[in-house]
Amino acid sequence: MTLYTTTTVITATAISRENPIAAHELAHACGADLDWVAQLVEAGIVDLESAAASPADWCFYSTDLQHALEASRLQRDFGVGLEAAALILDLQHEVRRLKAALRARGL
Amino acid sequence: MEFKDYYKALGIERTASEDEVRKAYRKLARKYHPDVSKEADAQVRMRDINEAKDVLGDKEKRAAYDALADRVARGGHAGGAGDGFQPPPGWDEGFEFHRGPGQGPADHADFSEFFSSVFGKGEQRGSARRSYRARGEDHHAAIEISIEDALKGAEREIVLRAMETDAQGQPAFVNRTLSVKIPPGVHPGQFIRLTGHGMPGQGGEAAGDLYLEVRIALHKLYRVEGSDIYLTLPVTPTEAALGAQVQVPTPAGSVVEVTVPPNARSGLKLRLKDRGLPGKPPGHLYLLLDIALPPADTEAARKAYEQLAQAAPFNPRRHLGVEGA
Repeated sequence: MTLYTTTTVITATAISRENPIAAHELAHACGADLDWVAQLVEAGIVDLESAAASPADWCFYSTDLQHALEASRLQRDFGVGLEAAALILDLQHEVRRLKAALRARGL
Repeated sequence: MEFKDYYKALGIERTASEDEVRKAYRKLARKYHPDVSKEADAQVRMRDINEAKDVLGDKEKRAAYDALADRVARGGHAGGAGDGFQPPPGWDEGFEFHRGPGQGPADHADFSEFFSSVFGKGEQRGSARRSYRARGEDHHAAIEISIEDALKGAEREIVLRAMETDAQGQPAFVNRTLSVKIPPGVHPGQFIRLTGHGMPGQGGEAAGDLYLEVRIALHKLYRVEGSDIYLTLPVTPTEAALGAQVQVPTPAGSVVEVTVPPNARSGLKLRLKDRGLPGKPPGHLYLLLDIALPPADTEAARKAYEQLAQAAPFNPRRHLGVEGA
């Protein structure tokens, strides 16, 4: 099996207020569909800052993508519902915040 | 390349039922979850059990893996002693692998060379047969940069290894080196998107995107939380009691003069507005005061401490309901 190498120089775009991702892009990044994204919104796993009527107008940011990917794994690996996934993600966030605070104090 | 024993990775027998595979995976995933595990090799173990579950939790892949394992046990693999494992040519003809529901393209990014070599080709073939026109899948990876690079932006090379079909129609590993220009002001957990650098599309559709999740490397002085940066600032008891002007290094490389207010306590948080990671809005630089005691290792220092005790009688344990020494 051959192994070959290619090199490409590219300018990256950071997902931010100026460059959000749309609902269909969030779905595609997670290998899911728009209905699933609507369920994430319903469960509060991703945030909608403005209550846009149509999913086509929804905007998402890095935290939403991170939460969506983690929720997707929890659903698949542990068979949890999205409400339980939302709670697990909140607790996980709190554990990480507290661990960072302990590290900062050299503990 | 080593032949991977996925049954051993999950600690189960080859006769294990689907339910036993699922239970074994869940038990180990809890044990080695990076947020809770105390094991030193948690990350590697987690990758191994994820990979094992991906194969053994899928009927098609498990059947193919078992067939391959039987051939290996009979000595029918191409690799000789010392060469490591090589899957025999054409061993997987007749098998077609699908990703399960909810199984995203992110999930195979960290898997081993063994997995890519054995299952990569079958997954590609399955994907090509299922749909003639489909946008390529998105890929996910992580990139670790220093605080300094996050502030100023940087150019980083990342190497992505993928299985692609070469000009002769043969599967081949391709190392794609991407020289990525990272914009200034990225923060931990933020995603950088490289449009069109995911999996190729099918039937003329666009390629997927590559998402890189930013991680900030540990720094000896600073710690990043969101877009804010924290620095522990040691001050003397005199500076904390009387107030002082002290010099503070910023992660951007400059030195600023900061006023420590009189009667400052340890743990007091001073904010340098907009001196964190840039953005809209920019983060702040927080200084956490840490009162460092001068050592009482000379006669003069000991005397000074005694004089302080006499001049400013103070019982820090009053709230414990005990008096004096």
